[in-house]
Amino acid sequence: MDEFERELEFERELEQAFERRPAPPSLKRRLMERRAKETRRAARAQRSWLTWPAVTWQRLAASLVLTAMVAGSVEWRIVEQRRREEAARQQVLTALRITGQALDRMNVRLAARHNGPQD
Amino acid sequence: MAPDWQPDFEQLVDQHQSMVFSLALRMTADRGLAEEIAQDVFMELDRNLARIENPAHACFWLRRVAMSRSADALRRRKVRGLDLWVEMEDVHGVHSPFAVEDRASPLSARLEQLLATLPEPQRAALVLRFQEDLTPEEIASTLQAPLATVKSHLQRGLKLLRAKAQCHLKEYVRGN
Repeated sequence: MDEFERELEFERELEQAFERRPAPPSLKRRLMERRAKETRRAARAQRSWLTWPAVTWQRLAASLVLTAMVAGSVEWRIVEQRRREEAARQQVLTALRITGQALDRMNVRLAARHNGPQD
Repeated sequence: MAPDWQPDFEQLVDQHQSMVFSLALRMTADRGLAEEIAQDVFMELDRNLARIENPAHACFWLRRVAMSRSADALRRRKVRGLDLWVEMEDVHGVHSPFAVEDRASPLSARLEQLLATLPEPQRAALVLRFQEDLTPEEIASTLQAPLATVKSHLQRGLKLLRAKAQCHLKEYVRGN
């Protein structure tokens, strides 16, 4: 038997040796079980996908209301603070105006007293 | 090509489970891993069933994905080859995953063990050549590799396998 024939013989041996092996009998059963499980999981995921927008909208609405309440409270505090400051400023101005008027009246009286005897 | 061909998953499993399992087994030399790979391949087929055009496409697709998944599994898990099995069998009487098959002759089982010791690209080319009876062009298409590379892997793989067989297999050395 020459080298070429040996190679051919070896290749024939390989063809016989590498015939397809039968798959384990459990393979198909496990596969079908796994497929059924994944189908159920996908169906569950689909259901939750359908329901999540309602939950999300509820959460989003609650978040918006909460944010609006916090923002309104902060804004109200700022406005109230400004109103108080303005009121205080007005009170000070009023006090200064009254004081100024009183001083003016005093000046008029003093001037009248100083000027009176000379006349 | 049948234009109205409708893929039937269960039928495809029946038809091709032996091919997918054998490819994975010969690539990984691990029955458990080969079963896992076969399951993964068919689950992927299930997800891509709408894209399968005809029976030949299904067969080509399954071969390609089985080889690709096996290569991925090998990269993830360094599967030890022949020397492990030959040594274990010689020393401890442990059987390789290939010897479990009742249909496989001892010589076939040992050739498969030797195959498991080849570098992965050579093993892939030889498995597709001798198990699936594919031409180098078809192997190149399945492995998405250049034809010259596939031919080189086939030649080198055959040479190496033959050398190993002459070294390790007493049953085989009858030709020398």
